[in-house]
Amino acid sequence: MTRTPKQLSAVWLAGSAAVFIAAAALLPFIGPSRLEWLQVWHRREPEWSILTQLRVSRTLLGLFAGGALALAGSVFQSMLRDALATPYTLGVSTGASLGAVLAIAGNLHTTLGVTGVWAGALAGAALVLLLVMGAARKDSLVSVSGLLLAGIAINSVCGALILLVHGLSGVSQSFAISRWLIGSLDAVEYSTLAVYVAVVSITGAAVIRQARQWNLLAVGEAWAATRGAHVTESLVAGYVAGSVLAATTVALTGPIGFVGLVVPHLVRSRVGGDDRIVMPCAFLLGGVLLASCDALGRVLLAPAEIPAGAITAFIGGPHLVWMVRKGSTR
Amino acid sequence: MSAALLQVREIGWRAGAVPVLRGVGLDVTAGEFVAIMGRNGAGKSTLLDIIAGIRKPSEGIITIRNRPLVTWPAAERARIVAHLPQSLRSDLTMRAEALVLMGRYAHQSQWFESTGDLEIAHAEMQRCDCFHYRDRTLGTLSGGERQRVFLAACLAQRPQVLLLDEPTTFLDIDQQLHCFTVLRDEVRRGTACLAVTHDLNLALTFCTRLVVLANHGVAFDLPAASALADPAWLRVFSGRLRVEAGTAGARVGYQ
Repeated sequence: MTRTPKQLSAVWLAGSAAVFIAAAALLPFIGPSRLEWLQVWHRREPEWSILTQLRVSRTLLGLFAGGALALAGSVFQSMLRDALATPYTLGVSTGASLGAVLAIAGNLHTTLGVTGVWAGALAGAALVLLLVMGAARKDSLVSVSGLLLAGIAINSVCGALILLVHGLSGVSQSFAISRWLIGSLDAVEYSTLAVYVAVVSITGAAVIRQARQWNLLAVGEAWAATRGAHVTESLVAGYVAGSVLAATTVALTGPIGFVGLVVPHLVRSRVGGDDRIVMPCAFLLGGVLLASCDALGRVLLAPAEIPAGAITAFIGGPHLVWMVRKGSTR
Repeated sequence: MSAALLQVREIGWRAGAVPVLRGVGLDVTAGEFVAIMGRNGAGKSTLLDIIAGIRKPSEGIITIRNRPLVTWPAAERARIVAHLPQSLRSDLTMRAEALVLMGRYAHQSQWFESTGDLEIAHAEMQRCDCFHYRDRTLGTLSGGERQRVFLAACLAQRPQVLLLDEPTTFLDIDQQLHCFTVLRDEVRRGTACLAVTHDLNLALTFCTRLVVLANHGVAFDLPAASALADPAWLRVFSGRLRVEAGTAGARVGYQ
């Protein structure tokens, strides 16, 4: 109780970073085909290729995707002062999903070196971003309630359109769409992964840098404004940054739920409401959670795989109910 | 007139098409303790919000130290003007001390507050009688306990203009008196204080000036010392009130 925020932050950051690094080092060794240390050490095939081409990139994707979703969840929860806000609350992820689903239904594979799903997801997210922003602006001010209402409205429209596209597509596309909508991690090419990690790292750092403003906004907009924060600028920046994190992630993994809801809650219930500590820890531990769920999904019913999105839902749903029972939904 | 710290000129504000305030003017100098009073819906909180820069007036201009309010950068303005809102959410997960430290936001740009900031926060918490529960989470405090934390945060901001929207809501009588005593000390140090209140006797006892809003504007603006000699202002509130001389200045009684 007598620890200063600085000490508390040092302890939690060091701990979370250690778990993150340990996960990055160990999780690639978990999977349906066992990898012997010795074989890997001598770079023998196929072990070496399985590890470097499949497992490492998949683990890194899981670590950064989980981190991005958890961080987007924390920023939306602080900004909207809503315990149930997730990266999906403001409609951008559903917009990204709609774009991706349209790309799958239209058989758009690769255009100009970019996969159709990736391009469709980002285009859908950008469109929703502009729509919500336009709807929420009033007298050059953006308010929390405006963002929330516009986001939820566009969310349901996109959700309905996804169902429509799904219903109108042929059997094979329809199956691909259902599969994609569960959300899962797959091995990605290192060039794609590098771009994604760079985007997430830069956006994530920018969000965490503003943690003092998120703390003020968590109390109230008027409170933040009269303490000296730039409220409209912060809300716009937070919405755009959270959307970039969520949309780039959805584009690669599909909509994976519950990470953005559960992780920030868990961290907040342990370290308190200070976003200077909550946000970096939520990023690191969110990554660990998603990468671990994926590793679990690889071995639980091997050789069949359970998508990471299904595992996070299995864990996240009961966890949420338990939190409600405990009365700690803050 | 000496240069006023705060000037309110011809301020108007509409809620949709309904006018709430029209042509409101007010000059406040350092060391004044102004009670903003009026019936429900008279526009007291609106006026305070406009002075705090939270609402944009439909017409008129506010100047602080002869500079229009809108041209002040947010952080610079926050070093001069602090505002205590009427209500804040009750389920905050941060510790009381962390909330008071938020008052230091505009004064420093470091990631974590300095020991100097912590000392100021502790001193203000002691003044507001909330130091002993500084480690408790705000959500676990009672309404009155929370209110004292919010007041400490406003004081830790070290403002020259202190705007308070019903600062004594939720406070027990002893804490109400304590709160207004702290505010009066603050005013004696040279802070200008504007407090919205429904408690006429607290206003008469502690404030130096009474501003009564009615009919969209300032109906009465008088020194608290002449409230007894010139009791016309009281009729705004109720025909059943009368002001009489008490042991500690003028008092309002019921019929």
